[in-house]
Amino acid sequence: MIRVNQRDMDFREGMTVKNLLEDLKYSFPNLIVRINGEYIPRESYEKTVIKDNDDISIIHPIAGG
Amino acid sequence: MKFLQKDETLCIQCHACESTCAQAFFKSDDRTKSSIKIFDDPGERNEIINVCNQCGECISICPELAIYRAKNGVVMIDKKKCVGCLMCVGFCPTLSMRIHKDFLEPFKCIACGQCAKQCPTKAIEIKHID
Amino acid sequence: MDTTDRKDSVAKIKEAHRLLKRYEYTPQKIQRGYTNKTLYINISDNTIKSKDVPEEIKDKFTGGKGLGLWYLWNSVTKDTKWDDPENEIIISPGPVGGITQYPGAGKSLVVSLSPTTGSVMDSNVGGHFGPLMKFSGWDALEIQGKAKEDIIIYIDGNKGIVEIYEVPIGPVNSHILAEEVTEFFAESEEEKRNISVISAGEAAEHTLFGVLNFSFYDRRKKVQRLKQAGRGGIGTVFRNKKIKAIAVKYNGVKGDSNNPADIDTIRKLGLKLHKEIKEHDKDQCRMREIGTAHLVEIMDDYDLLPVHNFKYGSHEEAYKIDSKVLAKKVVQGSPDGCWHGCSMSCAKAVQDYELKTGPYKGHKVVVDGPEYETVAGVGSNCGIFDPDYIIECNFYCDTYGIDTISFGTTMAFLMECYENNILNKEITGGIELNFGNKDAAMEVLHQMAKGTGFGKIAGLGVRRIKNLLIEKYGADPKFLNDIGMEVKGLEYSQYVSKESLAQQGGYALANKGPQHDEAWLIFMDMVNNQIPTFEDKAEALHYFPIFRTWFGLNGLCKLPWNDIEPPDNHLTDEPAKVPEHVENYVQLFNSVTGKNIDKEEMILQSERVYNFQRVFNLKMGFGTREHDIPPYRSMGPVTEEEYLSRQERYDKQLKELVGVNPEKMSTAEKIEALREYKYKQYDKLVDAVYKRRGWNKNGIPTVELMKKLGMDFPEVIKLIEEHSSE
Ligand code: SF4
Ligand code: SF4
Ligand code: SF4
Repeated sequence: MIRVNQRDMDFREGMTVKNLLEDLKYSFPNLIVRINGEYIPRESYEKTVIKDNDDISIIHPIAGG
Repeated sequence: MKFLQKDETLCIQCHACESTCAQAFFKSDDRTKSSIKIFDDPGERNEIINVCNQCGECISICPELAIYRAKNGVVMIDKKKCVGCLMCVGFCPTLSMRIHKDFLEPFKCIACGQCAKQCPTKAIEIKHID
Repeated sequence: MDTTDRKDSVAKIKEAHRLLKRYEYTPQKIQRGYTNKTLYINISDNTIKSKDVPEEIKDKFTGGKGLGLWYLWNSVTKDTKWDDPENEIIISPGPVGGITQYPGAGKSLVVSLSPTTGSVMDSNVGGHFGPLMKFSGWDALEIQGKAKEDIIIYIDGNKGIVEIYEVPIGPVNSHILAEEVTEFFAESEEEKRNISVISAGEAAEHTLFGVLNFSFYDRRKKVQRLKQAGRGGIGTVFRNKKIKAIAVKYNGVKGDSNNPADIDTIRKLGLKLHKEIKEHDKDQCRMREIGTAHLVEIMDDYDLLPVHNFKYGSHEEAYKIDSKVLAKKVVQGSPDGCWHGCSMSCAKAVQDYELKTGPYKGHKVVVDGPEYETVAGVGSNCGIFDPDYIIECNFYCDTYGIDTISFGTTMAFLMECYENNILNKEITGGIELNFGNKDAAMEVLHQMAKGTGFGKIAGLGVRRIKNLLIEKYGADPKFLNDIGMEVKGLEYSQYVSKESLAQQGGYALANKGPQHDEAWLIFMDMVNNQIPTFEDKAEALHYFPIFRTWFGLNGLCKLPWNDIEPPDNHLTDEPAKVPEHVENYVQLFNSVTGKNIDKEEMILQSERVYNFQRVFNLKMGFGTREHDIPPYRSMGPVTEEEYLSRQERYDKQLKELVGVNPEKMSTAEKIEALREYKYKQYDKLVDAVYKRRGWNKNGIPTVELMKKLGMDFPEVIKLIEEHSSE
């Protein structure tokens, strides 16, 4: 189990940040991703592997449409 | 096309070109009014001489159609049409469009070659290509 | 229309026009963003006069929309209707409006009593009119009265002349009228770029959601482009007053025309943002490439793109109208800004589009847009996934002068009514209004322009159509009120708010009606889960609407605030606010006006006007809690098919949030249980928001608040006291 934005989500062995964003369909271009508080830059989404019990926040920093 | 070609390996950072340009263009001793810029510290961009290469990107940036290519290939600003929006300054790929607080409109190198005449090492030279 | 035809037509107008009034003035020089003069025109008796703008009023209302609200407040009583001669149209750009260096600084704010809401409406629009009007010497233009025959009002800012012409003949539709009026007043080809025209169109006469088109001359394409003051039917007021066009000419725009206190700082801020946009826009919102339409596929991915009258939030055919498709339709390589210096340049154009229907069938035209709201409104929301239809519909809405958002939401509503046999061919005059029937929708649009057939009904907007169907055709009021997407009489803009309580409030609590320009909190709330408690949501519903009001006080566009972000924005405390850009705005205001505000004072400036507008609603007979309630369609599933389409999600909500076991319940029972829960939540939200804003339980700003803000005009206090004792 992992936490994404304080909500539970199923964990899959080997999943990367990129996979997670795809699963969630988070296609917004400007995301702020942190794993256990640590900022993950966009270039690292593909190579950053998520571990079980990780606490992930994916912030869409926009309050305007 | 006419443009000012640079060879940074020859530049001794004497700034003679800047003084000449400011003088030729604006009759001013203020070197910050020069279209060519010499950096004592190459900085992040790793650059000593910065000057317009007449690429023409800014022509398509300017919505006022104030920038055009003259017959000799040099990119020119028509000050009458310019509204001083500075978009061409922000969008120049080499950051070679200049501004100064004394002028509302930007200015740039027009490849007149005055500076090249003063350069003691031939670090800058006027070139013609087709 | 080719050039010779246009020349002929202009010649005819020249022959037929008659000068009714001419007024000469000495254009005021702008001082730090203000001319301190307002141009008042009464078109009933052709009075034209110059009014001072007192310091005190600038302090309280800042400018733009604030000034507009103040003038309108003084012109109407609680009984004034939108089509009374007393109603005004006020246009004002605000002090920052007109600078040429910082992106998004050329907006005009238009204020009037709305035909659809009956209350005060404001609309924010690009195009060159506002700044050119200010450079001509006027902080605001205030138009009152009603003309007898069609008129054109003309301001020449160099000569200092205002003229009113009677122009009984000639076209009304904007794409032709804007060109002809420009031709009429331009003394040379070169002058065209210094003219901006406001016009509406035929459908603005026959529907209640008419728009105003504000033009700017596109030097590359050599056409007048049109930007819309879209919401709430101000174009309808315009045509009802028999105004055909208002034109302004000002030659000589320069970088310092707004005469700011400190141009150097403005130039630095502008240049920095230009560079930011150049570097990052292509990886962020792609505004320069495709404008707001980049949102189509994003909204579809997040289940937020309205489909079939907001029933669903995504559709398998959405890819047919997404930004990749649209990018191929619009001209690339020359992004356009709607005012000088907007390097964000979200304005797009389709060139040489050959019209397939209507009076201009076969003509090749330039079409502005399509923007996200239009794609979603006339497209997905109506179940139409055809980019050419969207472009054609966009064109006709613009030139006929109607709002694509209200048109889309109304059409989607009608289609759902039709599919539920509430409407039938007898009522529609044979038109089969099923979801996805683009020919039918287009036919209704053309009828709206002529004021014939079913177009007359469709042009009334959702609220009035609901009443008509209930009263005349015995439709079920509960169902219609559930699916009719309007609050306060204004149609919803195009986002599905079902999963975001904060956004349900953002829409239904908005002063003028459900437009997202006050608050767009869906990501913060539903996706990021950043504002979980009622207090958090209330704080967001306090800050963002107030903050965003500020753009409208100053003639600014919202997009360069957060549709481009500095690369280190994520390191800031509150990335959603884009702190660096907020700081830019504080500095911009100070550099223009020479004042010394900070972010807190900035919020106060907005709070003054925001609360004044709330009390204005009260004055007009609205502005209380009962007018802040959303239709259930914006909160949860109304129908069984809607519930079943996202059953897993809703069942989970019943279990985890409502605390009931969905397994033993019928779908109808589940819908009821969810509905009851959601309205209770909404009620709690409203309590929290009112409290945070300093309003009483009925949504009325308190006397203390208005005193604290310095907005305690006697009439304001009297109104509040009357309503609070009830
Ligand atoms: S100013 Fe910049 S963009 Fe324009 S021609 Fe010179 S190098 Fe190119
Ligand atoms: S500053 Fe002048 S030349 Fe440059 S883009 Fe703006 S209007 Fe054109
Ligand atoms: S971002 Fe778009 S709407 Fe806003 S000012 Fe620029 S061009 Fe106009």
